[in-house]
Amino acid sequence: MKVKRLPSILAIVMVLFFVTGCSVEKGITDSSKDNGFSTISQEFDPKADFDAIIEQAKRKTVRFYGWGGDENRNKWLNLTVAPALKEKYDITLEIVGMDIDNILAKLAGEKQANSKQGTIDMIWINGENFYSAKENELLFGPFAEQLPNFNKHIDGEDKEVKNDFGFPIEGYEVPYGKAQMVFINDSAITSETPRNTEEFMEYCKKYDGKVTYPALPDFTGSAFVRTLIYDIVGHEQFLNMEADKKVVKEAIEPALEYLRELNKYLWNQGKTFPATSGEVDNMFQDSELVMTMSYEPYAAAIGIEKDKYTHTTRTFLFDKGTVGNTNYIAIANNSSNKAAAMVAINEIISAEIQAAQFEELRTLPVVSYDKLRAEEKARFDNVDIGEGVISQDQLLNKRLPEMPANIIPIIEDIWLEEVVGK
Amino acid sequence: MKDINSNKLLKLFLYLVLFAILTPMIILLLLAFASRWPWPSLLPDTYSLRAIKEVLAPHTKVVSTLFSSIILSLSVAILSAIVGTMTARALVLYEFKGKGFIDFLGLAPNIVPGAIFAMGIHVVFIKISLADTVLGVIIVHLMYTLPYSINIMRDLTKSIGDQMEMQAYVLGASPLKAFMYITLPLLTPGIMASVSMAYITSFSQYFITLLIGGGKVKTISLLMVPFITKGDRNIGSAYALVFAISTLLVFIIIDKIIKKITISK
Amino acid sequence: MNKKIPFILIMPIVLLGVLFMYGVINGIVQGFGYIPAFNLRHITLDYYIEILNSDTFLDSLKISLQISVTSSIISVLLGTMLTAALVYTGHTEGKVIQVIKLAILIPHTIVALFSISMLSQNGLIARLFYQLGLINGQGDFPLLLYTKNNLGIILGYIWKEVPFVAYFSLALMSSINNTLGEASENLGASKLKTFFHITLPLSMPAIRKAFLIILTFSFGAYDLPFLLGATVPKALPVQSHIEYIHPDLRHRPYAMAINGLILIITWTIAGIYYLITKKKKIKGDIHERY
Repeated sequence: MKVKRLPSILAIVMVLFFVTGCSVEKGITDSSKDNGFSTISQEFDPKADFDAIIEQAKRKTVRFYGWGGDENRNKWLNLTVAPALKEKYDITLEIVGMDIDNILAKLAGEKQANSKQGTIDMIWINGENFYSAKENELLFGPFAEQLPNFNKHIDGEDKEVKNDFGFPIEGYEVPYGKAQMVFINDSAITSETPRNTEEFMEYCKKYDGKVTYPALPDFTGSAFVRTLIYDIVGHEQFLNMEADKKVVKEAIEPALEYLRELNKYLWNQGKTFPATSGEVDNMFQDSELVMTMSYEPYAAAIGIEKDKYTHTTRTFLFDKGTVGNTNYIAIANNSSNKAAAMVAINEIISAEIQAAQFEELRTLPVVSYDKLRAEEKARFDNVDIGEGVISQDQLLNKRLPEMPANIIPIIEDIWLEEVVGK
Repeated sequence: MKDINSNKLLKLFLYLVLFAILTPMIILLLLAFASRWPWPSLLPDTYSLRAIKEVLAPHTKVVSTLFSSIILSLSVAILSAIVGTMTARALVLYEFKGKGFIDFLGLAPNIVPGAIFAMGIHVVFIKISLADTVLGVIIVHLMYTLPYSINIMRDLTKSIGDQMEMQAYVLGASPLKAFMYITLPLLTPGIMASVSMAYITSFSQYFITLLIGGGKVKTISLLMVPFITKGDRNIGSAYALVFAISTLLVFIIIDKIIKKITISK
Repeated sequence: MNKKIPFILIMPIVLLGVLFMYGVINGIVQGFGYIPAFNLRHITLDYYIEILNSDTFLDSLKISLQISVTSSIISVLLGTMLTAALVYTGHTEGKVIQVIKLAILIPHTIVALFSISMLSQNGLIARLFYQLGLINGQGDFPLLLYTKNNLGIILGYIWKEVPFVAYFSLALMSSINNTLGEASENLGASKLKTFFHITLPLSMPAIRKAFLIILTFSFGAYDLPFLLGATVPKALPVQSHIEYIHPDLRHRPYAMAINGLILIITWTIAGIYYLITKKKKIKGDIHERY
């Protein structure tokens, strides 16, 4: 009877799975064994001579955690950055896709359990997430000034290098790329490009119901609202503002009135807003909206290349400027590969890799143009930024600083209470 | 007459349901291959292989991730069916203290919000060195799948009862043989359902795999979700296709294997 | 019979169960403000109190209840009908079941994608209407998603839960039908009578369980309400998620406290379920034990 074989088959199958599971796990633990003992990471001295650090980093695997939903960036990291690190320093770079909130949750759990050997090495981070992580001792540092390329290429006096969303970095993270809010629409559908909030209101009136922005606290939606606020009440007052709800509300009251008035002409009369920036972008592609916005200044070019936007799509800004910020790479406090992390980060801020990032991803570089050699400058100059976008100079000319990290959630709360559906 | 009509009605309903399930699948298929699909087109204006090429590119390691995800979820599924059958048998056929507690455990994971459990178990697992391991992920997936397995097996065990097994025992068969030859074949539909539900539950887990696996344990769900929630919808759809088709294939293969094993029935 | 057998049989579940409860307790403690990693060492009810007192809590609670109760009741009715359809048309295995499993497999985030592709004012149904000349533009199509009646969310849950209810109770109903159901029909009872008096009542344990599972799940899940819901009011789990992703890590206790409230509510629902099922005694049901 064939049923006789059932228990033996089951047993074999079970054993097979356990063996596979254990060997997969062994593979993982083996690779982590290569990374040295816990004693090394505890005694890691970032101030050591960089050549010594490079030695320590050899043959190690370093893990870079960050949002995994950008396929171009994933490709660039895997096909350009990883091979460069392997060739030059014999470091294996592993990309792990994880949202920053989960990264911080993991680090927090590891801190609570006193785990000195986490799996997270490098973290793609900025803004209040950085501030929070640093305050809660989840990050390692200071290390930025130990990186040769930091001193070579990066302007240490630049506000965005010393401060992240208004808070001192103190060497705990290194600039990775620059972002700036831009607006995008299709010239074949709407010929206007509003240059300020008055024109924007007129634009929304004309294209009634076909403009909106992602609901706060979405990153892009939040930046969009801040740009509108800057246009109406200016930006300097926020740089030193007290993080008090009443103070902030008073300061942005004219902008709140504007936003409420604007609601009437927005998609669904401002009674509800799309949940994510991805959704707004999809609606724009499908012609449900006539305008979209992005934190990636060259999103239009990339969209056209991906055949998601038409060729008549173009980028524009407000005359007074739009918010821009920098995003960074930090190192986890309990990383077991701090040496490799430092070497990898150093490589990412090299002129070569920054140029490659600009070429392939159209991410604004963080290296200071003036600090580059002639050939390096030429490489940046020759990058084809693509269709429908604004040159780097024009962008940087109209770039406004971000508000301090702790003001932003207050504005997001106020928006929810005072603008939605009003 | 009534019987024929009610059967016809049920058939119609069944076809409606199948239609309702398959139509969105077609949309998924179109999205994975679509380029521009603006208003008011009913079908995409332009097609492209961009999304598929991105997903299948070697650097995404989608094939190896898929393979290890399948092994992981199959392990969970089989363990779940076994433990589910054991527990169900104990609950139905025996009397012992603490039955109510086991009953409760069979329901608890479904009524606890995922985040509470995840944050809590994460610290525990770090302390017992199960965090960032495949075994840890398997265990935590088991906690989510066991309620289904136990409940499916319990209802079935109850309905089958142990009369026939008792008869065989009385007629001289050993308890184990009686179980294996009499009850087990009758439990097969439930075991299949347990395996399927457990596999599905484990395969679609995102948050708990992310937190407990720590990014070291890679599943196809982890690759897919960022694109679906906030990324390129074509790529998200392409991943979803990989996700769905691979599962269908797994189920078809399991079905065939089980059919071969129980062919003497 | 060997007295030890039951204990051997329940060993795995007990081990896992204890681990599980330990994890849950650990998580609940965070809602009371105890997260030493963030220097929060003071156990307090403040987070709970603040949430219960907030303006939005009752609205959020109402939304969550509305979504879960509506979708679950419809799903369990249609789901049972589907189980019956599968059993009576003999499709208890094979291709039809694979399609049912497919629906259960698809994660909720993808269901949101479907909903938007089909039901939004820019979706396929709207485009069909436009092509048929029934509407003049996207704005003319009624707003089905992102509204306070949460229609899109409810439909999304129904799409997944009907197949789930069916699959969950299929094995049992099929088994009953093959044994007692067939016997009843052989004795002369009509198919309809057999179904409503024998098959359905005896399948109730599975159907009831399925109802409880989908009710508590749809109450506590955040994917669909987050992507398809109105910006305000937010469903409870969405509010919790927003607190969780708040960059200021000291907001975590808020997330855990909201989750704690969700837990209390779902346990209350489960408790009511148990009380009701204890009281139910079906005539002639020899196996009634729970």
